[in-house]
Amino acid sequence: MDLIAPASRAELAAALRDASAAGRRLLVVGGRTHLAKGNRTRADAALKVTAMDRLVEYTPAEMIAVVEAGMTCEALNAALAGHGQEWPVDAPAGATVGGVVAAAASSPRRLRVGPVRDSVLEVELVTGDGREVRGGARTVKNVSGYDLPRLLTGSLGCLGVIAQVALKLRPRPRARRSVLTGGGLEAAAALLAAVPLPTAVVATRDRVELRLEGWPEDVAEQTELARKAVGAIEVHDDASFPSLRPQDGWPVVAEAAVPPSRLPRLVEAAGDAWAALAGVGVCWVGLPGGGAALGALRRRAGELGGIAPVVHGPGGLGAPAPAPAVHRRLKQAFDPAGILAPGRFWGEQ
Amino acid sequence: MARRSELPARIERARRDLARVLGPDGVLAEPLARALYRRDASMLEGDCALVAFPRSRDQVEACLEVAAAYDLPVVPRGSGTGLAGGATPIGDALVVVTTKMDRVIEIRGEDRLAWVEPGVINLDLNRRLAPLGLTFAPDPSSQQTSSIGGNVATNAGGPHCLAYGITSNHVLAVELVLPDGEVVELGSEAPEAPGLDLRGLVVGSEGTLGVVTAVCVRLTPLPPAVRTLLFGFPTVADAAATVTAVIAAGITPAAMELMDHRAIAVIEPFAQAGYPTDAAAVLLVEVDGLPGGVKAEAARIEELARANHAGSVQSARDDAQRARLWKGRKSALGAVATIAPHYYLHDTVVPRSRLAEVLARVDGIVSRHDLVAVNMFHAGDGNLHPLLVFDRAEPGILDRVLAASDEIVRVCLEAGGALSGEHGIGLEKRDLMPLAFAPGDLAAQDCARSAFDPQRRMNPQKVLPAGARCGDFALARVGELGQAVARLPEGSWI
Repeated sequence: MDLIAPASRAELAAALRDASAAGRRLLVVGGRTHLAKGNRTRADAALKVTAMDRLVEYTPAEMIAVVEAGMTCEALNAALAGHGQEWPVDAPAGATVGGVVAAAASSPRRLRVGPVRDSVLEVELVTGDGREVRGGARTVKNVSGYDLPRLLTGSLGCLGVIAQVALKLRPRPRARRSVLTGGGLEAAAALLAAVPLPTAVVATRDRVELRLEGWPEDVAEQTELARKAVGAIEVHDDASFPSLRPQDGWPVVAEAAVPPSRLPRLVEAAGDAWAALAGVGVCWVGLPGGGAALGALRRRAGELGGIAPVVHGPGGLGAPAPAPAVHRRLKQAFDPAGILAPGRFWGEQ
Repeated sequence: MARRSELPARIERARRDLARVLGPDGVLAEPLARALYRRDASMLEGDCALVAFPRSRDQVEACLEVAAAYDLPVVPRGSGTGLAGGATPIGDALVVVTTKMDRVIEIRGEDRLAWVEPGVINLDLNRRLAPLGLTFAPDPSSQQTSSIGGNVATNAGGPHCLAYGITSNHVLAVELVLPDGEVVELGSEAPEAPGLDLRGLVVGSEGTLGVVTAVCVRLTPLPPAVRTLLFGFPTVADAAATVTAVIAAGITPAAMELMDHRAIAVIEPFAQAGYPTDAAAVLLVEVDGLPGGVKAEAARIEELARANHAGSVQSARDDAQRARLWKGRKSALGAVATIAPHYYLHDTVVPRSRLAEVLARVDGIVSRHDLVAVNMFHAGDGNLHPLLVFDRAEPGILDRVLAASDEIVRVCLEAGGALSGEHGIGLEKRDLMPLAFAPGDLAAQDCARSAFDPQRRMNPQKVLPAGARCGDFALARVGELGQAVARLPEGSWI
């Protein structure tokens, strides 16, 4: 596959105009960490945006960073850490800001920090045919017209190329602790009931990892509440998170999402290699290739009011989107020549 | 007084069709009813042809089908507390009032969600949730009367948005009747939904994409510990500097509200909240979370306030005192009626590090136009609410109010701010949109709107200025829309 690597917004717009005129199909790539998400697409060239990687504006007192899409999440968080702030997405190494936004890849800490879409305040994009568009504002509150930042978050590079975003930041926690214990979803439920304001509770078939962040005295108090609730615990300060990742190494990893109380019924159809975010309803499931196990998981997720798109390996998104006519009109308006990863997105025929 | 038989034949036929489905009381066409629904809580008035009160999703579908059959524009409306004219109808509109759809359909604490109909009042929902230890976090100052449907339409805010985020962060899914009558569910009870985030487009769309007939709201556990503090300052600039310092210190309080001396002077006699009447400004700060962090943050905030010359500090000792401190803030708008019969409440956002500077410029504009402004606002978010108070009977004053308003908006945008923080654009700020966005940006927004409503039946003439058209997307040029001035949209008046 050919590679196009624009060094500036103007080059990016020109590349898209040319591709639209020529009917040349493009797959937008950043750090290539979220490319498995989406249905199978055929592209003639990869459009790589990693050369556009500046921190455009950062006033720590605003807790907002304006970042070009090609910047890696690591580089961004390194710049923010010096001011005691973070953009809490916990993306894999090499992932770019634009890629995380386009894939709506939320942090395993989302119980406390929220989904990534709540952090995107402003977006600057270039449409499929090379028009530059800005939506949102560089303020924490803004209701002025239609929320284009949310429309683009999770759009998998199918409406336009995200060139730049303004992100709402959080203070970096002063203390970080992982508390490990045995059990599974039942122990996780006991911890959720006993510990107020945990950052995350990850459950696997037989283990639970409780993540605590914040003021040291709060972390200490919550640790004691956890000990009372479940008995024996292991405590690891400043450990990387999450440490429980049984889904890693499987040919296919699905990221199921169901209402949180239905996780126990979901995992009945998930085999053994799963890690669930208790209280959130996300569950990563490691699966063999071949599709039968994935099909069973998807049927169960659907029965429970959820979905199970694949985030690693083959399998695609797997469920139809609502309001297909609205989806079609949006695609037509933002990418009239249909050159951006045709077929990759939900609802595209 | 016009009788029904004098309605234009087309409107009368639409009325009869609606009455067949909604019952004779479900649709009104009398001049009095039409007059009552020709405005919301903004200063803008319009006109409408019919007012419908559906009681179910099926009846909303019928409203949209009848509107399509007789080519009537549709203006959805909740409690009508909007301040930007988003529910002010124009022309032959059918106003679809959702206040009779007021059931809490289900509360599922185990999933931290509730399904409600759009007419449920924000505070009523929160009263139902409190015994369960849960809350629907958005708390607009209108929460005693504003409906969840209206909160969704305007992406409503409120003091506690500072820590908890705007309405869009708390809406998991909506059931929406599209303009052609099709019913869709956007978003999900699950943390992720298939497709583009169309739910995110609907929140804040001011009734222009369809009619929301049910909302799945996210519920938030009430915090284990809360501390409410009130600081008095010798100058507004000191209070504003404290806000900037707190945010810069990496602390996100649950709320941080600034009120100036004029606000204090109207609030105290009205609410007896215990605000220091000798202060030039007070800052009401609430921190919540776990006990240790709350204590540490409250101490740090007090240090920062004192470093910025806070003269008095009150810390609520109990729930009663906390309620009293909040009563002052929440009754401020009502209290204003004691000094002047009319007000114009602004809603703009500025970067939080530039609060003091922008407030001084706003003060200058207000003085120059010989007006009086009361300031009480969500300082932590940078969400300004200068409130111009006046008596319309005074000749020429309305022109001065509007001229000052226009300047205030421009000053906020120049500082890097946003046109609206929580009230929306509606009619009020529609023609100011080109100050915030380039023609291509507005055309892209119009594409989002047209994707839902290609016929432009829903709340026409709102949000986007004339000239912003999806079809012109490729043709829009800088300068075409760049000369907007604050004027009244055609078909409306004050």
